[in-house]
Amino acid sequence: MTSTVDPLNLPQRTASNDTEVDREALARLLIEIARNVDPDYRARFDGVPTADPRMETLRQLLVSREISELSRVTHLLDEPEQLATAVGDVLPSAAARASHAQLGEALAPAVERAVQRSIQKSPRTLTDILYPVFLPAIRKSIGEKIDQTFQSLNETLRHIFTWHGLKWRFEAWRTGASFSEVVLKHSLVYRIEHAFLIHRNSGLLIAHVTADNATSEDPQLISSMLSAIQDFVKDSFNEKEQSGLDTIRFGELRLWSEVGPFATLVSVIRGNPPEGLHEIVRDVLLRIHEESSQALEQFDGDGSQLASVEAQLQTCVELKQEESNEGFPWLVAAVALVLLSLAGGWYFLSWQSAQRWQAYVSRWQAYVSRLEAQPGIIVAEQQVRDGQFYIAGLRDPLAADPQSLLSGTEVDPAQVHSQWQFYESLEPEFVLKRLTASLVPPETVRLSIANDRIVAEGEAPDTWIDRARAAARQLSAGGPEFDISKVRDVSPEVRQAERWQAYVSRLETQPGIIVAEQKIRDGQFYIAGLRDPLGADPQSLLSGTEVDPARVHSQWQFYQSLEPEFVLKRLTASLYPPDTVRLSIVNGRIVAKGEAPDTWIDRARAAARQLSAGGPEFDISMVRDVSPEARSAEHWQYYVSRLEAQPGIIVAQQTARGGHFYISGLRDPLAADPQALLSGTDVDPARVHAQWQFYQSLDPKFVVKRLTASLNPPKSVQLSIVQGRIVAVGEAPAGWINRAQAAAEQLSADGVVLDVSQLSELNLAELNYLREAIQTTDIFFSSGKVVPGPEQTPVLDRLADQIKVFAQNARKSGVTARFMLTGHSDTTGRETANASISAARAETVRALLNKRGVAPELLLVRGAGTFEPLVPENSLAGSSTNRRVSITVNLD
Amino acid sequence: MLQKKICMLGGFAVGKTSLVRRFVQSIFSETYLTTVGVKIDKKSVALPDKTVDLILWDLAGEDDIGSFRVSYVRGATGLVLVVDGTRAATLAVALTLRERVEAEFGAMPFILLINKSDLADRWAISDSEIDELRQRGWQIYLTSALTGEHVDDAFHQLALMVTK
Repeated sequence: MTSTVDPLNLPQRTASNDTEVDREALARLLIEIARNVDPDYRARFDGVPTADPRMETLRQLLVSREISELSRVTHLLDEPEQLATAVGDVLPSAAARASHAQLGEALAPAVERAVQRSIQKSPRTLTDILYPVFLPAIRKSIGEKIDQTFQSLNETLRHIFTWHGLKWRFEAWRTGASFSEVVLKHSLVYRIEHAFLIHRNSGLLIAHVTADNATSEDPQLISSMLSAIQDFVKDSFNEKEQSGLDTIRFGELRLWSEVGPFATLVSVIRGNPPEGLHEIVRDVLLRIHEESSQALEQFDGDGSQLASVEAQLQTCVELKQEESNEGFPWLVAAVALVLLSLAGGWYFLSWQSAQRWQAYVSRWQAYVSRLEAQPGIIVAEQQVRDGQFYIAGLRDPLAADPQSLLSGTEVDPAQVHSQWQFYESLEPEFVLKRLTASLVPPETVRLSIANDRIVAEGEAPDTWIDRARAAARQLSAGGPEFDISKVRDVSPEVRQAERWQAYVSRLETQPGIIVAEQKIRDGQFYIAGLRDPLGADPQSLLSGTEVDPARVHSQWQFYQSLEPEFVLKRLTASLYPPDTVRLSIVNGRIVAKGEAPDTWIDRARAAARQLSAGGPEFDISMVRDVSPEARSAEHWQYYVSRLEAQPGIIVAQQTARGGHFYISGLRDPLAADPQALLSGTDVDPARVHAQWQFYQSLDPKFVVKRLTASLNPPKSVQLSIVQGRIVAVGEAPAGWINRAQAAAEQLSADGVVLDVSQLSELNLAELNYLREAIQTTDIFFSSGKVVPGPEQTPVLDRLADQIKVFAQNARKSGVTARFMLTGHSDTTGRETANASISAARAETVRALLNKRGVAPELLLVRGAGTFEPLVPENSLAGSSTNRRVSITVNLD
Repeated sequence: MLQKKICMLGGFAVGKTSLVRRFVQSIFSETYLTTVGVKIDKKSVALPDKTVDLILWDLAGEDDIGSFRVSYVRGATGLVLVVDGTRAATLAVALTLRERVEAEFGAMPFILLINKSDLADRWAISDSEIDELRQRGWQIYLTSALTGEHVDDAFHQLALMVTK
């Protein structure tokens, strides 16, 4: 022990984090052990004692906690129940965390054994569990198998005796396949055109493959719509089954859908597919699920994970069966045909005689069932024995004769032995026949069958009705009822009384007839009342009623009916209204309308007063008095109102006096002539005395007329009246616009508006350019000459052209252009000579221009002498410049 | 190819069908709406990094919420709620339809289109109401089938939301 470390502190420091160990006790123990470790001690005891109590204490001190923990765990492991509880707690999460492949591997044998054991013990349990899973699958599979069988049977039958059939039978013999297989192979021609793989949950398209040459609309939309339709069918018919719609057929096209856990495979097939194809398509779907089940489950619209699926779908789309076109082995067929026809001939003969007898018996059967369908015939029994037919039963004598029914059935009557008992059928039609025979109903009664009851309808005397009633009572129970409640009793008295009542009610509805009383006694008819002489004649109303006039005794008193139509008749008869008056009834009043002389109106008024109280009112207020004076006054008023409506005429006053008419007022000279307006008014012009003063109307129409006359606007200007204002629109030369403005100012004083704001100055840009060109042109002369030199000819030619164009364009714009030719001279010589020479020069140029086609009236001429020199004349050049003719352009 | 199933919901005659008519690819006639109760259209939206095909299930508009075929919404990733801005009641209908869908299939992203914004004089939904919904973080667009206003923006936004 050479170390200087304090042994007491060492364990205290190193285990300072361990609170559980009693450090002080440990330190003391260690020191004690250290002290005892000496050679003597060792010698005395001859080795280390096997059970030193201090070692035990040391052990307790160091590992007591671990020991207790270890014993708890040991105990847990030793006690199976506790261990089971503990493992059970962690088993589910342990299984969940285990690698799927390994766990499956480990569990598979155990699960297989467990299932095997379960089935051995009680197969029922597992069956119950799997029942809901397998049943739909089994059902579907069986269904398909049956469909497959039927399909094969159908096709086999369809082709068995055809030319194809023979061909295929031979092929079956050659290849060793069954005949039905060969038939299916040839008759089921189909092609899968599209395959859609659709995500079941969202209806999104996972993949789509198309056969060559097949087309369709956007597959994404189709796929969604297909699943919408699936949902629709499922919802609409409350179908809970997993599978959904599995076949849709549309003509040549079929949609088959196979439903998997995550995706649905829809194949679009053209043609006639074999049922076995279902299985092939289902296999493809299964393979897709096996390969990419995780990607399918997690599909969220991103198809990139599922690119491999397309290859699988492609195998689906490649499925098809096409018509084969192999050559036909003619020789073999010919041999087979000969053999077949020999065998067939023998078979046919024996078959034919059996067939004939069969047809005969079936004819007999048809006859029996025809009898059974006959009303009134009951077939009790029938049989065929030794080529003879026996039949027995009941028949109503009124029913059809069984014997006569035989004819036309081709059954030989000689071979038929029948036994019929008569009976009375209770079928309504037979009862009806018997009733008709026994009761002999009159022609007015009709018997018919309604709802198995016999109903009599119509009219009959009471004696017949009594007999019918008795017959109804005697009808057998169980038979049809006989209803005679709809037969009317028509004994002669009743009929007479009915006719009389019809006549009386006809009289009562007649206006002007009042029936006071009426009665029937001993076959005689009595009637009394009031009648208006203008009303219908009661006697004449009798005709057509079938009432015997000889038996009618009537007593009528005349009276005046106050009904409006009778009053109207009487008024018409007494007043003789003229043609111009119309009498009518309006709301119970009599109204007279129209025109009549005052004498007639007076008479009508008197008649109205005389009308009885309680009768209708007679209104003559709407009849106009038509005395000649009144009429001519009316015509005059019409003429005056016509004048007043005339623009430019103001009627100041007018009167009618002593058959003459006086009128005075103002008229614009541009307005219509009042005299001319008289014609057609029926006013006698000789009686009209008119006094008219002229004035200038401020009516815009008249103002426009005057303006047009005074301003003479150019063609390019339009004057119009807009909402009472006169508006001038268009292009005009500045001078004209100025004149129009002046006129507008004058008019505004009178309150008339002339709007010139929309006038624009004539566009003279081009003209201005020409004008400039013309005005800067000068024609020069030699000293003392009045004719320009030959060098001026091109200048004159150009000038003439320019003047012609200018004049023409100006005219188009509604302006007249004039050209002033001013002659000039130099200052050499006398002033008078210079003046005349300048005028002569201007005249010469006018003549030269005229010669070049310029109209002479456009050209004005003046001589300016020396008074308007172009340049100051102090040089020779100056004087030659001043010898010239200048041109100015004027527009007006 | 990235596709997402989107359902368009809204009351009767809010203009769902006419709203999308000019903006989508369609091969089915509108009679599907009245017969099958759904019509399917496709709207391709180009995002900066990819193109999304929105497969639009236009469900027949019903004011009677009871007859709404909720099963058509299965597998949808987003909703388009359509409201008629001139009939305040259609807002309530759209919200109720959304609640029904959420109750059945859980929350999913959606946009709310308030349609007929061209009929300003008959407008019946107040700005404060719209603001309140916007404060909930909802994406709301005032659209017009007549002028096409905001329709493309709305689909673009929805495409962003469903591909996030």
